[in-house]
Amino acid sequence: MREESNLSYEGVIEQSAAGLKELMESGEEIIGYIYPHVPLELFMAHGFTPSLIRALPGVSSGYEESLQTFACSYIRNLYSQRANGQFLTLAGLLFPGNTCDALQNLGDVWRVRFHDDRVLRLTYPVTRYSQDESTTNFLAEEIRLLSETLSRTYNRPFLTESYDGAIELVQDFRNSAQFLYSARVVNPKIISYSNVIRLVRTFLTVPTTSSVSEIKEAATEVRTTADELGLLSIIESVRHAILEGDYSKVKLPEDIETPRIAIAGGMVEPQAITSLINGIPDFSESAIAIDLLSFGFKSVFTKPPSKSDDHFLEMAKSVLTAPGEPTHEGLSYRMNAMKGLLANFSIHGLIVCEQSFCDPDQFEAPSIEKAACELDVKTIRVPLDPELSDRGRIETRIQSFLETLE
Amino acid sequence: MTQERPSEEKPYRRLETQTLLQQIALRHGLEAMEASENGNLAWVTSGFPVEIPIAMNLGVVYPEQAGAIIGAQKIGPEICGYAEDLGYSQDLCSYARSSIGSTEKPDKVPVGSLPTPQILLACNNICGTVLRWYDAISEMTGAPVFLLDTPPIDKQQLPHNREYVHRGVERLIEFIGSQFNRTLEEDRIRKVAELSSRATKLWISALEACKNKPSPLNCADRFLTMAPVVSSRGTEHCVEFYEAFVAEVEERVKNRIGAIRDEKVRLLWDNIPPWHTLRFFNILASRGVGFPADTYTHAWTGNMVGTDTHSIIDEVVETYSKVYLNMGLDAKVDKMCQLIKDYDLDGFVMFSVRSCKRYSLGQLVSKELVTERTGVPGVIIEGDMVDSRVYNEAQIETRVDALLEMLM
Repeated sequence: MREESNLSYEGVIEQSAAGLKELMESGEEIIGYIYPHVPLELFMAHGFTPSLIRALPGVSSGYEESLQTFACSYIRNLYSQRANGQFLTLAGLLFPGNTCDALQNLGDVWRVRFHDDRVLRLTYPVTRYSQDESTTNFLAEEIRLLSETLSRTYNRPFLTESYDGAIELVQDFRNSAQFLYSARVVNPKIISYSNVIRLVRTFLTVPTTSSVSEIKEAATEVRTTADELGLLSIIESVRHAILEGDYSKVKLPEDIETPRIAIAGGMVEPQAITSLINGIPDFSESAIAIDLLSFGFKSVFTKPPSKSDDHFLEMAKSVLTAPGEPTHEGLSYRMNAMKGLLANFSIHGLIVCEQSFCDPDQFEAPSIEKAACELDVKTIRVPLDPELSDRGRIETRIQSFLETLE
Repeated sequence: MTQERPSEEKPYRRLETQTLLQQIALRHGLEAMEASENGNLAWVTSGFPVEIPIAMNLGVVYPEQAGAIIGAQKIGPEICGYAEDLGYSQDLCSYARSSIGSTEKPDKVPVGSLPTPQILLACNNICGTVLRWYDAISEMTGAPVFLLDTPPIDKQQLPHNREYVHRGVERLIEFIGSQFNRTLEEDRIRKVAELSSRATKLWISALEACKNKPSPLNCADRFLTMAPVVSSRGTEHCVEFYEAFVAEVEERVKNRIGAIRDEKVRLLWDNIPPWHTLRFFNILASRGVGFPADTYTHAWTGNMVGTDTHSIIDEVVETYSKVYLNMGLDAKVDKMCQLIKDYDLDGFVMFSVRSCKRYSLGQLVSKELVTERTGVPGVIIEGDMVDSRVYNEAQIETRVDALLEMLM
């Protein structure tokens, strides 16, 4: 198995922040984004580095002047970071429209409170019930308008050469990340979960050739090990199954270690989960076979844009393939997809993470519980905030849950 | 604040047309039951272009309205509790929770439990919650959901947004057609659109009458009488109700009869009301405080005129995309400032509804902006529309008193 040094949650944050700072010091201009499903290639084509801005632990106040206590804990954290001067200087910050009410309103509040920030917006269609191209066309036009804004505001035109390079860079990252995710489904010890998500985080924070090289290198090493263990074809079948939603060709090894758990949720930090599980005596994160989180699985398994003359349309199509996002897929579709994955990947337990005061997470949790129950997969719901403010109690609950799976 | 006076000489005047309102509510309920029994009932969100399903001969009911009734009956905590027992968090929209709770245990709701739907029609121009809420109801009832997606707009509706929503309305017509094997007849939609416009115009004239001093209507009056324009616009009986209602309002204006007996202070109300404590307005009425305007009931002021199906769809797109809650913070602040100016108001009360994120998040900022632009003071009070467990009367009283000290 791969030799690795496991960084703590705080260590990972420091590492990715340092990478971002270094990049800025070298003269790169950064556009921050909050909702993970953005056309990264667009920003790169305009000569920017897109960086995922995330909630951080240890940020407890600063939002009170502008947001009520019942605002989603994620947006409170982001606002507090900015109010406390914890943001690096960004060329712009992209807010999503139409994904959830909290982020929709936060963009408006931000514009008023932080006059000097360049606030950008990309509004998404709710694609779940459409059976025509209107949703893709809508998003393509939104992306085109955003491109125009970037050209006009920063005097940085869309360069086709940069765009082509960006497609390759992002796809190289996804290929490697998808392989690592799939490899862990087959053998969770082949590489630690925390290492995979650290590599994913590094790329989403600093999407450069260097961060892609790092994850590619990790994938190459794992591939070699998998080959030696005779697991390569199973790993590829898992990857194909996830991308296509067809699990008929997946046959996991019979001697897989148990228990195997999956982590469901939205914009919850994968590192926070590993930090919680690794803090529990007698358990380790090797029990985690897969996550279904926005900053992990859903970002990793998004399909790339195809090369064609209509760049904006292809980017729109790509963004809308992010699996399992409530804005993009209807509830019954999502639950069926999750059930297919849980059943075919021999998952015994599901940890359902809910961001405090997050509508999408809290609405979905009962349906996830119900769907998992139909498969006899045990579940536990864990309310979380970025500060892990109730950490002791949460760890105890997860520990009790894991014990029931043994 | 003091307690509401029990004597016959109440500080507010009851509307005669309230009797008619009760008749309409009863009729609406019976029609909905019949539609459900006949396999023709749609549940619709309050910002949905109801003219389309009505023109396609579906019965319609509004879960938000049912939530308001549940709130007014003071059984919100109990009914929301049934949804919480199913795993829905107490932080979620209490309209949604009361709807899920009453679907789970309809026999626990004396009035306000809705007949079984055959179809669920949601439009996200009022919030994103409706998507998840209707999905949950669909999971419980098996009724299919149609979502009319109206992406939020900033300042103006861009052509691609208009085109997208236009296609959405066309798909809605196709969806209802395929579910119920029927088509949208042009004569019928023209008739429904015309009735809808007439009802809305009457409603607007009643709202605008409140510019008079004293105001002929108070907040609670408008919250109650808005029911038909929300649920029955596009029908004959809705127009008939508002004709009678406007006649009464005009009579009050003519004779300088106010909704409250001694109007001294005129305030703006922002957000959904606490349906469980509508007496809040009556208690303030006893101190001479009235609310001639609010942002909530002004949400149903769109007007549809069209000569054929295509132009009516254009009107639907325009009207339903540009509802108050689907515009940005600037539009909300503009609206509040305009109401304060037009209705000559002395201050404003913003109800921060814990479970309504779209309406409430941003109020701390808009309060400052509105005061800055209009020079009138405001106060934010916190609670919930249906779930009285998070309504702290003493705290609210203290805050409102502080505002009134500045004004009286």
